[in-house]
Amino acid sequence: MAPSALPSSLTPTRLTATRLTATSLEEALIRCRASTVLLRVSGESMQGAGIVHGDLLIVDRGLEPRPGQIVVAWLDGGFTLKRLVCHRGRLRLDAAHPSYPPLELDPGAEPHLWGVAVHVIRTLEPGTGHR
Amino acid sequence: MPRSSWASSHQAIVLIDGNNFYASCEAVMDPALLGRPLVVLSNNDGCIVSRSAEARALGIRMGQPYFQVRRELERQGVVVRSSNYALYADMSQRLMTTVEPWVEQLEIYSIDEAFGTLHRPASHGDLHDWGRQLRHHVLCELGLPVAVGIAPSKVLAKLANRLAKTAPGSDGVWDFGSIADPDPHLEAVAIEDVWGIGRQLSRWCRLRGISHARALRDMPSGELRRRCGVVGVRLQQELRGHACLPLDTLPAAKRETCVSRSFSQPITTQAQLREAIATYLSRAAEKLRRQRQQAGAITVFVRSSPFNGTSFYSNSATVTLPLASSDTAVLLQAALPLVERLFKPHKPLQKAGVLLQDLQSEEILQHHLLVPLPLEQQHRRSALMAAIDRLNRHYGSGTVQWAAAGLQTPWQMRRSRLSGAATTRLDAIPIVQAW
Repeated sequence: MAPSALPSSLTPTRLTATRLTATSLEEALIRCRASTVLLRVSGESMQGAGIVHGDLLIVDRGLEPRPGQIVVAWLDGGFTLKRLVCHRGRLRLDAAHPSYPPLELDPGAEPHLWGVAVHVIRTLEPGTGHR
Repeated sequence: MPRSSWASSHQAIVLIDGNNFYASCEAVMDPALLGRPLVVLSNNDGCIVSRSAEARALGIRMGQPYFQVRRELERQGVVVRSSNYALYADMSQRLMTTVEPWVEQLEIYSIDEAFGTLHRPASHGDLHDWGRQLRHHVLCELGLPVAVGIAPSKVLAKLANRLAKTAPGSDGVWDFGSIADPDPHLEAVAIEDVWGIGRQLSRWCRLRGISHARALRDMPSGELRRRCGVVGVRLQQELRGHACLPLDTLPAAKRETCVSRSFSQPITTQAQLREAIATYLSRAAEKLRRQRQQAGAITVFVRSSPFNGTSFYSNSATVTLPLASSDTAVLLQAALPLVERLFKPHKPLQKAGVLLQDLQSEEILQHHLLVPLPLEQQHRRSALMAAIDRLNRHYGSGTVQWAAAGLQTPWQMRRSRLSGAATTRLDAIPIVQAW
């Protein structure tokens, strides 16, 4: 679906926040609250990308996934964390760990890329996070 | 009505409505449900209140009692979920904030519907593409499908939204401004289905041979005025494409009741917040009883001042009742524990409120094994509520107040197939596998 261009008076512009108060964590980490979802990471296959078991992941569902980004894909009935890679013109989902092989995406079937992981939050002091 | 007169109205009214909203919300956080037949049940797993498109296609009807169709649903492989009002309230909030920048004014009409006003530029009379872009945007950002109805008035926008969902070949958007001849579409809408018409007026219309929206639009205004005064005439004007209902008017029964206030001084202790919430909830319960309704779910929300120098804090929590109620004590007992979850010691609060949801008419008597009190005692409680309301009306609000004390031990509600608090509780967020 590619809707035609509209006059600018009809398309919304995202208002830039010009808040004068102290930096808010939310402002720094969240592009759009409505499309943001938090997920908890389980497993070590994204170690090489700096994401480990137990991390809190900020996922933006409104971003168009692009090669190079870390994405949340819906695979075999669960959310899976991978890096989207374009290899020789074909899309692939890579883990960031030597023992996990890349996953070629069938060019015919549309992969269900659910969201783009934009930030990772790690609790350093055990017992202070909601784990 | 010729095309030119509708398309040239400067202001357009748009109605944005979530498709199968509860079922769609469930699928947002659980993509395994996409493309599968799914139904959502009312409180206590009573009856079907939302169906995915696939469930509709199987012929499953709205309002069917679960116990009657349980076997059949199992046989057909239909996924069944209990109502997860916390999830729906969160998704509703996301939906409303997403559509808000697209319109000039927004009226949140219900959990899944909002009216908006829009300027229709003379050079660009057709807003169909705009509607498609909005629909696409909401789907991309939230994963929620919506239907968009666009028309010169609210009553027509409601009809347009219906057509956006049901007309053959519709892409989810319907703009009356781009329809050359609306008459056949208005003739397809039964008089009872015209928004805001009411049972008595539609019966009167039927007796006079007026059976569809087009006939109501074209009947002599004088007769309508004599029969039902300005209300009927307004409805007719709306059908003719002249907007008469302002954006905040609610002709239909209310589906939500909200009481919220900004504090004169920031609230800094949990006890204060508790009192404030108890006060607002008592007010909301009073409104509820005046509307002869009962609430099935309560949302409590709080927020700090965006301008006081500390970081902004805003949060909400929802509780569902085992049985819908308008009894202040019952509502307090359910809602006050939420205060503990929402209050943060170093976040001075500027505003708080309560939202009563899942409103149902008092007349709908729920016969249920979990009824908290015997019938006779229920009558005595409603008599007590009526007496309190009378006292507060006569001698001023707050004459008789609640000490926010508990009534009975809470009864566990049956929600056997409830999805998790995937978007509202940090300890319940979904897992993403990195294996």
